[in-house]
Amino acid sequence: MIRFLKLYRVFVAQFIKNLMEYRIDFLTGATSFLIGQVTNILFITIIFNQIPSLAGWKYYEIMFIYGYSLLPKGIDHLLTDNLWNVAYFIVRKGDFDKYLTRPINPLMHVIMEKFQFDALGELITGIILVIYSSIKLKLTPGFGEVAVILITIVFGTLIFTSVKIACCAIAFWIKRSGSILQIFYMSSDFARYPITIYNKGVRFIISYVIPFAFTSFYPAAYLLRGGNGILCAGKTMLISTVIFGISIIIWNRGISAYESAGS
Amino acid sequence: MKQFKSIKRTYGAFVNAGIQDFIAYKASFFGFFIGEIFMCFVMYFIWKAVYASTGRTDFMGFSMIDMMVYVFLTHISGFLIQTDATFSIASEIKDGSIIMRMIKPVNVDLSILFFEFGSKIMIITCVFVPVMVGLEIYRYITLGYVAFKLVRLILFMISISISYLLSFYLNLIFGYLAFYLLNIWGFGVLKEELIKFFSGAVIPIAFFPGVVRKVFSFLPFASLTYTPVMIYMEKYNGMKLIFNLSLQIVWLLVFIGLSRGLWKWAEKRLAVQGG
Amino acid sequence: MIEVKNLKKEFQKTIKDPGLSGAIKSLVHKKTETVKAVDGLTMHVDEGEILGFIGPNGAGKSTAIKMLTGILTPTSGTLEINGQIPYKNRKEYVKEIGVVFGQRTQLWWDLPLVETYSVLKEIYCIEEKKFRERMEFLNEVLDLQEFIKSPVRTLSLGQRMRADIAASMLHSPKVLFLDEPTIGLDVVVKDNIRKAISKINKNDKTTIILTTHDLNDIETLCERIVMIDKGKMVYDGSLYHMKETYGKMREVIIALNNPDEIKNIKPDKKFGLNADDYEIEKKANSVSMKFNSAKVEIPDMLNYILASVNVKDITVKDADIEEIIKKIYKSEVNPGEAV
Repeated sequence: MIRFLKLYRVFVAQFIKNLMEYRIDFLTGATSFLIGQVTNILFITIIFNQIPSLAGWKYYEIMFIYGYSLLPKGIDHLLTDNLWNVAYFIVRKGDFDKYLTRPINPLMHVIMEKFQFDALGELITGIILVIYSSIKLKLTPGFGEVAVILITIVFGTLIFTSVKIACCAIAFWIKRSGSILQIFYMSSDFARYPITIYNKGVRFIISYVIPFAFTSFYPAAYLLRGGNGILCAGKTMLISTVIFGISIIIWNRGISAYESAGS
Repeated sequence: MKQFKSIKRTYGAFVNAGIQDFIAYKASFFGFFIGEIFMCFVMYFIWKAVYASTGRTDFMGFSMIDMMVYVFLTHISGFLIQTDATFSIASEIKDGSIIMRMIKPVNVDLSILFFEFGSKIMIITCVFVPVMVGLEIYRYITLGYVAFKLVRLILFMISISISYLLSFYLNLIFGYLAFYLLNIWGFGVLKEELIKFFSGAVIPIAFFPGVVRKVFSFLPFASLTYTPVMIYMEKYNGMKLIFNLSLQIVWLLVFIGLSRGLWKWAEKRLAVQGG
Repeated sequence: MIEVKNLKKEFQKTIKDPGLSGAIKSLVHKKTETVKAVDGLTMHVDEGEILGFIGPNGAGKSTAIKMLTGILTPTSGTLEINGQIPYKNRKEYVKEIGVVFGQRTQLWWDLPLVETYSVLKEIYCIEEKKFRERMEFLNEVLDLQEFIKSPVRTLSLGQRMRADIAASMLHSPKVLFLDEPTIGLDVVVKDNIRKAISKINKNDKTTIILTTHDLNDIETLCERIVMIDKGKMVYDGSLYHMKETYGKMREVIIALNNPDEIKNIKPDKKFGLNADDYEIEKKANSVSMKFNSAKVEIPDMLNYILASVNVKDITVKDADIEEIIKKIYKSEVNPGEAV
């Protein structure tokens, strides 16, 4: 683990050097993700100009849930963005060879190699939204709440990462799984809003099949409305651990099925 | 006539190649498509909750059914006018393979355009038709009568065709700018987000306050998806319809002119740089 | 060192009919067939040996190399390198090998070259002192100094290849796999790279497996070659033996004072040679003649030529390995005894 962190530091240092070479790229990327979020927030604001509450949730509560959903998503985006390249290009072109000839875990190697600063667009929006709406809602988190926040963000991030790992591992069999990853990743949009607005089927899917609701709505709802904090954090931990385990199994099977590409 | 035949032969090959290309990359297309459909359903549930919260049947002049037609039609229109022109031109400029297009006896923009026609044919049959049928069935069930009007569909098709050409030339211009831009992908995302915002893909332009709405509806972005969708929904009638169609055409001509000018400039630059 | 027994690798390949209808058909129904990329390979390589691994395109060279490096899992058969099974103890195994794929780079594209080395230092846990010694040695052999501070994307192909070889040798691997290390390079650069490979082999006693299409690589570097075709081994032995066995054709290049005299050279009639053993071709400024030295002694042939025509210059060339390999590829020579 210590070796891993040391390596990670080296990789990040390299990546920051890389970033200095392409400053404009970074600004463009981060800005575009920021604009995307701002558009959505504006949308919610315009709606709330006409209505007092949405399915029983007030404007700032919706903002809080929305902002909270961006935190695990943004952290995952920041750290593991190279998985998209695995799904779209690295396996298909046979470039995965490189990772298999190195004496470190290929999954870690792939993840470490890229640090996606575009994600700051999402992360900053998320942090501002959560803090601003907490103030407006006069939320005063105690020790227990802070623990739930930390746990659910860490394990929520793990849910995102696991879904990405599992989807991009499919590329080892079908060469290119970017579109599958796209579908699963975009289904996280459902988790940006209170899941009480959805029908039962959708609610079940985003809670237990692709459990994105645990990355945002459930913890946010606990922080807003109270409830059993241990149960909330525990469920998130359990579900993310299970899905992470499944994704690692798929990934490992995928590696032994890897066929490389003609020279 | 003879000239038309030769055009058909030359560019027909591009259309054919476009269809094959679409089939080869069908998976990635349907990935995006299903992703967008998810987005539509998220919107559906949000609007349902909104209408339930207000207790009214009308929200800023839109009924729930209007809203659903708007959401689905806007997303589908997004697919119909979507174009890879930026990326294909930009990457060809970067790696120098653009000269391969220059040495063939075809127009650069037309060859890309016809190549894309192929995929558009596929999108219309595989995506547009089924979604429209679904939408009209939904309208019929909730309203209790057939709201579909053939005239509106035809007007929509005319308007969306102009939109597509407009989108194509707009993207082509972005592509030519590759000479200056490093991160084509980043700028692409930025461009998409801006277009989404200004064209009313997330928030209908009608929801914006007075002056902003006026300005937005004159910008070329409104001509992209907003105009055809409004036409189909019978929100634009009579003079307003004619005016907005004309506005689309004016913008199209402006962008064609701009892109031709930029291409001349790019050609000179290629000649100087030697590709 | 390297022990391979009856190694096999099969792939499933989808077949697609050409054209639009073929594309549509593949939407509905996919046809697949099994391709045997490597079909029962058995070989042994000693420590410190440089083995030339050759064969035509699609013969299964790359697939075999990828199994040897642990990238691909074999369908069946056994392989053991350094006492380890590549695809099983992959992480441990790859610490002791170096891999260069000529068509790909493992260097960090946008950063100065030296940064790639400092990352690799961490990946392979190389100690600072060892790292500095190693860099010094590689620098001396591969002349990295002049471009070590430049971003990789600005390097020429030759510089990039040198940098890639250095990257794969940084951790002093026991086995080095070079997959077409001279592809696309000019003659002078190729020569430098060959010298470097040879130095590394002598200095570190590195076992080297080299695949290449350039037979000059083989002639300068390898004492032993393994040739495969359609996934099967067709030759395994020394280069010398190969030349001795199959290389009886000699080429004589004759420059004539009067080019028209070519018609006076008729050794086929004189010595009774048939078409397999004799061949003559007119070049721009000379005549190239090939004959089987087992049928006619070289001095006899030379005497005959000198007597028949007015010669300005004459050269006899050794067996050309390229010719031999071409013949073996076409199965004109049956190398049965050598396998």
